[in-house]
Amino acid sequence: MPTVTIHPTGEVIFLDPEETVLSGLYKAGYAYTVGCRRGGCGICKVDCREGTFVYNRPIADSVISDEERTDGTCLSCRAVPEGDITIEMRDGDVRLVNKFLRDINERARQRAEALARAQADLASATTSKE
Amino acid sequence: MGVMRLGYAHVRVTDMAEAKNHYANTMGLYETHSDVTAEGAKRTFYKAWDEWDHHSVVLEEGGVGVVKYGWKVQYESDIDEIEAKAQAFGVTVERMSRGENPEIGDGIRFTTPSDHVFEVYHQATLIGTEVGTHNPDSFPRHLVGVGVPALDHSLITAEDPGLMDRFLTEVFDFYATERVQTTLDDDAEIIATWMTSNNQIHQLAVLAGPQGKLHHFAFRLGDWSEVGRAADLFSMDDVPIDVGPTRHGITRGQTVYFFDPSGNRNEVFAGGYLAYPDRPTNVWTPEKLGKGVFYHARELNDAFTSVLT
Ligand code: FES
Ligand SMILES: [Fe+2]
Repeated sequence: MPTVTIHPTGEVIFLDPEETVLSGLYKAGYAYTVGCRRGGCGICKVDCREGTFVYNRPIADSVISDEERTDGTCLSCRAVPEGDITIEMRDGDVRLVNKFLRDINERARQRAEALARAQADLASATTSKE
Repeated sequence: MGVMRLGYAHVRVTDMAEAKNHYANTMGLYETHSDVTAEGAKRTFYKAWDEWDHHSVVLEEGGVGVVKYGWKVQYESDIDEIEAKAQAFGVTVERMSRGENPEIGDGIRFTTPSDHVFEVYHQATLIGTEVGTHNPDSFPRHLVGVGVPALDHSLITAEDPGLMDRFLTEVFDFYATERVQTTLDDDAEIIATWMTSNNQIHQLAVLAGPQGKLHHFAFRLGDWSEVGRAADLFSMDDVPIDVGPTRHGITRGQTVYFFDPSGNRNEVFAGGYLAYPDRPTNVWTPEKLGKGVFYHARELNDAFTSVLT
């Protein structure tokens, strides 16, 4: 399951599979500038500095130009990360509005990371026995 | 009498299936026709329950924003008169013939100084309201979702709202019920204008902003409690609410702004006082624009002037 890291402030947010960047950030207790939340207005654009994402709906050319399709522009309300990504906000920082959600998201990420480590250890232990 | 009303709003949607779910199941519009354009774009035509003409909303798949608006005139001869006035204003007018829009008659088409496409027509296939005309009941018993009775108005953006104010006055015989202007001086610039041809508080409003853009199009509701119920339904259906329920200082209407699944802003709008051409125009100045738009919060949100399709 992918994480979104926010540059340069360093918040790390854990996303459910198929979840968009915007909905992931809101589910983790953060807020930032949004409009339609449905890919139509373009106000939720951020910059993707590392990693890749796909759009889960067709995006109108009036919202994302040809150039913006390749220059790292990320329409956050429609972008689903394909792995871990790092983004930079364009219009001010994210604001933490619900710290309970933040804590829940943080614990979920730690659990997932611990599980991934345990699985990796198990896999290497199995290989070394052979 | 000239222009009677905003007959149809024809808008683009990115995903027809999701859009149909919103306009049919959440808003409660009735589908009257669907087709595919010569270019291969799917279209769906809708009317609301208290409308009698064939359609008032057209969805076209591909992109977002507004394709065009249709304005219905009372007499066939109004079309020629508006054509002459538009030409006198310096606008190029083309003729459109019956069937270019399904179930809509002959008319004219032109691009406004704000870069929006307007069509003017007199004839539309009569379907009738959902309650009929013979000893009609007050509303249909089995409305779906919000169950809006009719399309009401639209707000568009233009680089020069003052020019659009003049254009709509000279070409459509509209008058301004309310304006936002830089100052109270005679040479003040118009920032926004609310215009109509009759007692309806506004049929089209124009706000300073980019050319050719849609701010929202609105459906009519009866009163506050219907506006509140609509907002409840938007929460049930996960429709993103932009603002409201609240009141507009301008027009005094009660409102919720929300977004369709493609990000086009919609509104449900109730109330608004009776407009008359001889009533002095209300004037708002920028320091009270927040109160003019959102009468309770008295502050514009980030999205109001920047979120457009
Ligand atoms: S919020 Fe409108 S495009 Fe993302
Ligand atoms: Fe409105």
